[in-house]
Amino acid sequence: MNAKDQQVVERTEPEARRWMVTGRVQGVGFRPFVFRLAQRFHLTGRVQNLSGQVLIEAAGEKPMLDAFGAALLAEAPPLAQPEMICVERISYRKLDRFEIVLSSAVEAAEIHIPPDYFLCDDCKREMQTPGDRRYRYPFINCTQCGPRYTLITRLPYDRLNTTMAGFELCSACRAEYENPFDRRFHAEPVACPACGPQLCLVTPSGHVERAAALAACVSALRQGEIVAVKGIGGYHMMCDANNGTAVGRLRANKQRPHKPLALMFPWRGADGMERVQRELEIDAAARVLLCTPMRPIVLLRRRMDSTLPESIAPGLREIGAMLPYSPLHHLLLDEFNNPVVATSGNISGEPVMTDNTEVEKRLGNVTRIFLHHDRPIARPADDPVMRIIAGKARLIRAGRGVAPMELDFPRLFAQPVLAVGGHMKNSVALGWGRRVVLAPHIGDLDAPRSLAVFEQVIADFQRLYGVIPQAIVCDAHAGYASSRWAAQRGLPLIRVWHHHAHASALAMEHCMERHRGGTWLIFTWDGVGLGEDGTLWGGEALHGYPGAWRRAARMRPFRLPGGERAGREPWRSGMSLCWESGIDDQPCVADATLLKKAWKKKLNAPVTTAVGRLFDGAASLLGLIDKASYEGQAGMYLESAAAGNAEAMDLPLEKDASGLLTADWKPLIQALLQGDVPVAQRAMQFHMSLARSIVAQAQYIHASTPFDRVGLTGGVFQNKLLAELAAAQLAAAGFDAHLPERLPSNDGGIAFGQLAEAECAHG
Amino acid sequence: MDDTHIRLAHGNGGSYMRELIETVFARHLANPLLNVQADAVALPAMEGGGVVMVTTDGFTVQPLEFPGGTIGSLAVHGTVNDLAVSGATPYYLTLNAFIEEGFDIARLERIIASLAEAAREARVVIVAGDTKVLPHGEVGGLYLATTGVGVRAQHLQLGLDRVQPGDAVLVSGPVGDHGIAVLLAREEFGLRGELLSDAASVFPLTQALASLNGLRFMRDPTRGGLATVLHEICRATGLEVRLNQTAIPVREQVAAVCEMLGYDPLFLACEGRVVAVVEASQAPEALTRLQALPQGREAAIIGSVNAGRAHVVLQTELGGERILEELEDDPLPRIC
Ligand SMILES: [Fe+3]
Ligand SMILES: [Mg+2]
Ligand SMILES: [Zn+2]
Ligand SMILES: [Zn+2]
Repeated sequence: MNAKDQQVVERTEPEARRWMVTGRVQGVGFRPFVFRLAQRFHLTGRVQNLSGQVLIEAAGEKPMLDAFGAALLAEAPPLAQPEMICVERISYRKLDRFEIVLSSAVEAAEIHIPPDYFLCDDCKREMQTPGDRRYRYPFINCTQCGPRYTLITRLPYDRLNTTMAGFELCSACRAEYENPFDRRFHAEPVACPACGPQLCLVTPSGHVERAAALAACVSALRQGEIVAVKGIGGYHMMCDANNGTAVGRLRANKQRPHKPLALMFPWRGADGMERVQRELEIDAAARVLLCTPMRPIVLLRRRMDSTLPESIAPGLREIGAMLPYSPLHHLLLDEFNNPVVATSGNISGEPVMTDNTEVEKRLGNVTRIFLHHDRPIARPADDPVMRIIAGKARLIRAGRGVAPMELDFPRLFAQPVLAVGGHMKNSVALGWGRRVVLAPHIGDLDAPRSLAVFEQVIADFQRLYGVIPQAIVCDAHAGYASSRWAAQRGLPLIRVWHHHAHASALAMEHCMERHRGGTWLIFTWDGVGLGEDGTLWGGEALHGYPGAWRRAARMRPFRLPGGERAGREPWRSGMSLCWESGIDDQPCVADATLLKKAWKKKLNAPVTTAVGRLFDGAASLLGLIDKASYEGQAGMYLESAAAGNAEAMDLPLEKDASGLLTADWKPLIQALLQGDVPVAQRAMQFHMSLARSIVAQAQYIHASTPFDRVGLTGGVFQNKLLAELAAAQLAAAGFDAHLPERLPSNDGGIAFGQLAEAECAHG
Repeated sequence: MDDTHIRLAHGNGGSYMRELIETVFARHLANPLLNVQADAVALPAMEGGGVVMVTTDGFTVQPLEFPGGTIGSLAVHGTVNDLAVSGATPYYLTLNAFIEEGFDIARLERIIASLAEAAREARVVIVAGDTKVLPHGEVGGLYLATTGVGVRAQHLQLGLDRVQPGDAVLVSGPVGDHGIAVLLAREEFGLRGELLSDAASVFPLTQALASLNGLRFMRDPTRGGLATVLHEICRATGLEVRLNQTAIPVREQVAAVCEMLGYDPLFLACEGRVVAVVEASQAPEALTRLQALPQGREAAIIGSVNAGRAHVVLQTELGGERILEELEDDPLPRIC
């Protein structure tokens, strides 16, 4: 039933109606759009922002009101996602115009904070038009584009409540800002060269500003220099991607020997894709993904004839590529005309840096050249990362453009709840009403800066959304910095098992998408997380549904000699897998006599079932890696190494008295050590055998305890090869198999899962 | 059971006991004040008219003998050091021994001899003592408890409440030696001999620092190691302690064993080191004084106390920063 059908009585006199609209309607030009629409349909009345909801009252001819009502949703600006709450008849009042009433914070309703957007086509055209007053202006924006989340300091979303507050509008900008017919009507970050932010290039020999700064930055890049470039959510460290020496120096200075470096390509050709496809393989899905307003980093296969240096992503077949998203990036890349390395300006594991002074101080050993600008960044937002797995874009890291991520929760929260996430790749989520908002990727909470941003984002979320949590959910691992922080808040604390959170995130996400419940079998495979029996899980299959998970299967446990160190040194898992298999003569990177004694005595050698560590061990036994310099490196190497055909092995299944199924990895170890079989084939066999084991476990469990759907989640399923093999084979075996669709499968999605699990178990 | 091992009778107050005390304890610990017959001892007035300081501690280390010390020497050093870091001059100790039935008397004698030796070196005397024998299985061989009496100069005010932002943090020598020496000995890793415990009296070190008016606080980093002392500073002051990782002295063998087994030397026990917080301008002088002593040759300024969040922050060589969390009972990996 829509409003139109309810109008039964024919009337000739004018009438009036009221609409309440919610959803993403703030900071996206929705009110000016309503205003223009009202003009088109000759209506009088008003539109008003009520801290989140938009109230529209209009009077005029009935057919015009009908058309207006339909167009409100159908013709909304591309970035707006309006949802109609209600429409009702109101008493007619004669007015002579339609007006936009300024923001009101009187009523705390649904507040939506948009993420940061790309540069829209209209602004890009202006920026490239000689004679336009914003010709080549790096901070051009309008209601349809530009930063939001990273510059909002308070709500309501008005210029004075953003980091643009310090820039007073010139008369030309003010005229646009105040003109309801203008694309920049109440575009809060609106600016021009006369009144807005400017560039400044700082080098050891002095500094230059504005256009000269951009030109000097480009020539520095041409000369093979590294430049720290301030963007939307923080700094990038940039250098010429084709200059192997520059890339090598960036790696050396940043102490980042292997971690893949993301590239930003110039926008070339009709679809912008011309330069990307010269180096990387892109299909239709990748094409769409690269161009979305999110402008994510997309992991794409390097072409055989690519001339990019191997050092961009050593040992890997894929490279992370993105297109320019801010006007500054467009200008810079247009001018430079070649891909640049655009890696986060941060210290490993920390959030990207946002402050001019801090970046000079803390990244001064990486470069002495800084392209600053004077628009402050309120809070960091790293670039989002995505990978196409099983035909769909999967989020690896929620960042700028993607988050804050709005999720409709299928249940009503009894009270506002804060979830503080995991320890690595931390992100937090706030749940209230029927909503959840997930913050952008924060970082690993070992560093003080990560913890500071973690606290800031939590405080900002509460303030911006006007929500005071009455309980906190954290991981069951009390040693996580997030758990420690949560325990000190003096609020009721709910501890959720790590893998229950992983499973609930997946189940609840699908429940939201398709409005269905049912019973799941979810493979939660990751690095390590604390399990119910006090050991480190990471190779389980959980049976049930949010709030009621039961460990149905696991991988065979083994020890991690050296504890946390094993996570950084895959050779330890490799040796342990051998020792557990009774193989004592496997050559080792170091003299492991002492370690083996400690392993035997169970000294600092915790028990785990984690498939992430199994991947570590396998990569090490194949000779691909001894020590990792970044998280997930061993698994990524193993995936990259796999090629050709191999025969999957059966991993023996055994059920114990309690009904727990154990899959034994032992046959894999012997196979990995077959020196006469090519590495590519052994790596492929490893993946195929694990995929087969997933199907075998599902079938075995289904026979005694049925379930409706199978899920694959946890960091291990960022492995495209394994995820696609497993998903396809599950489907072939008749299972309804699912991967996470909107949330990251790694710990970046944990906070949402914590809310889901806590609400279903206790809510 | 033969007379080479402790019997329950050694604790019953009879002749066995008298004989044990005379042949083992009194023989090694004899001094004019120790009267094994008396119920209590009268202590002569101590010099200077300072503040009398008392401390007590129990010792349960395993193994009882390890490279660089025994539970006996540890029972002296532990208590002497608690007095020393409080700014006191240690004078007297009392000793309680809890011995397990069946304990080898020759071994007991070795341990008491090393206790006596440590006391002589630390210039303290044992003024009272007691011995108990417990049935087999109720004690891990031997436990000791000591109480120490010392005197602190009236004017010397040390404490966490005196710590100020900007102060420097010093350590008197390499950390983790004791923890690793004991671990290797206990687990019988077959690496013994190379690495000695650092167990020693720190009184010479604390005495050298005591006359610096910028000295704020001293502590001996025993259980929980250096990191635990720094956490105490954070907790009590609400200030940040920032460590320069490369400045922290760690012996190569200790670092190597830690790296292999996955331990952090900052959390390992020391038994002969001092952590001192000193007003920044006097830090170089404090360092000079420590380094002038044989025990303090490898002393270092390792960090500072700062205004800021109450975290212990480890600054790495590459400009990275890591929060050192408090020690957990059974730390489990957090890398997912
Ligand atoms: Fe996880
Ligand atoms: Mg003590
Ligand atoms: Zn625009
Ligand atoms: Zn302007």
